[in-house]
Amino acid sequence: MALANQKQVEDFADIISECADSIHVRLMKAIKNKEIDQYTAQLIFQDEAMLRQRANSLYIDAVNCIVDGLSQSQKSITELIDTAKGKIKTIKKIAGFIDFIADLLVLAAAAYAAKTAPILAALEEIRKDVEALNKN
Amino acid sequence: MKIIRVTFVLIMIFVLAGCANLKAVRDYAGESAKLSAYTELTTRFRDTYKREQPYLFGEADQLAQENDRRRKAAYEDLMKIHQRVSLYMQALATLAGENAFDLSKEIDSLSGVIKAYPDFGIDSKHVDAVAGIAKVIAKWITSDYQERAVRDMVREGNEPLQKTLQGMEALVRCYKKTNENERKTVLGFFEVEIPFTDSPKEKLLNVLARAHVEAKTVEYKNVELKYGEAEKGIRSIADGHKKLLESIDRLSSEEVKTIISNFAKDIKTIRENLQKIRG
Repeated sequence: MALANQKQVEDFADIISECADSIHVRLMKAIKNKEIDQYTAQLIFQDEAMLRQRANSLYIDAVNCIVDGLSQSQKSITELIDTAKGKIKTIKKIAGFIDFIADLLVLAAAAYAAKTAPILAALEEIRKDVEALNKN
Repeated sequence: MKIIRVTFVLIMIFVLAGCANLKAVRDYAGESAKLSAYTELTTRFRDTYKREQPYLFGEADQLAQENDRRRKAAYEDLMKIHQRVSLYMQALATLAGENAFDLSKEIDSLSGVIKAYPDFGIDSKHVDAVAGIAKVIAKWITSDYQERAVRDMVREGNEPLQKTLQGMEALVRCYKKTNENERKTVLGFFEVEIPFTDSPKEKLLNVLARAHVEAKTVEYKNVELKYGEAEKGIRSIADGHKKLLESIDRLSSEEVKTIISNFAKDIKTIRENLQKIRG
């Protein structure tokens, strides 16, 4: 692309769009003054439409330039999102850890009272807590 | 000894509870994540050809088809840009959220367990007393942790976010200009053709064409409002984030809360305005 800079591309597209606008003004004046027939008017309008498509093509170039220019920022943002997710996850781990402590206390209490059934139940809860903690 | 140990454990756990008052940040980020004007206009940009195709002929139509192909190719990347900003704002809202660092549910169940086992040697009065003191300390510590997490994100996120938002503003500008060329192609066609339909034989055609122009003019007018609102929305998000960064060390101060809340309100208003615009 000869016009590498996004702003240059956009400016050039603006100029082409403005040219199309000028053609249109002149065309409408010609139609109003009956300077031209319908066929000629249609031909000129087609030229105008072509110019607009050329301009739109340049706007797509500009759009692609912008997207390319944002790749680094996009990468940084993605990294930050991951960091934030990690921080939230850490807290969830702490939540799991508190569950673990609670169940551990139940076990200690059951052991203190030397009751078999509650001990087994508490051990099962602790097993689940450890599993959950490992999953995170 | 036992009481001291249990008390220590209780304090350590209750200390993890509580949450910072970051409602303003949360509201701002939440509203920013919801603003979807950009995606709507990106889709409109992609579908340009579908709307202008009936009015294009010959070489202009061929060029338009090529443009159509290229717009469709760019679409996915254009949407990704919005998606990232939206995900960033969601993450920030979650980080600043009431529930992100709130462990009160777990703590409640723990104190319940402790109270249910008098064998631990401390009664429920002690548990409540310890919890009371611990909650005050917890508020300081977790507020600090949460604020720091939010601060880190805002500080590191500002530069790439501002750049991305600037990019989005430029993209919306290109969409708008593309849309202007589309409008001028569609309405221009009628402008050129209608004067040649003035014979009595073509009365019906003339009326139908003018009615169509009327409808199309309204459609384009409504769409143009959307570009303006989208630009305003993007700018509000950018300014809001800049303000967040500037007042990063005073996030809990009333003045800053008010300013950030106002940004959230602005963005919300813009979103609601966009929903009101038809077409």
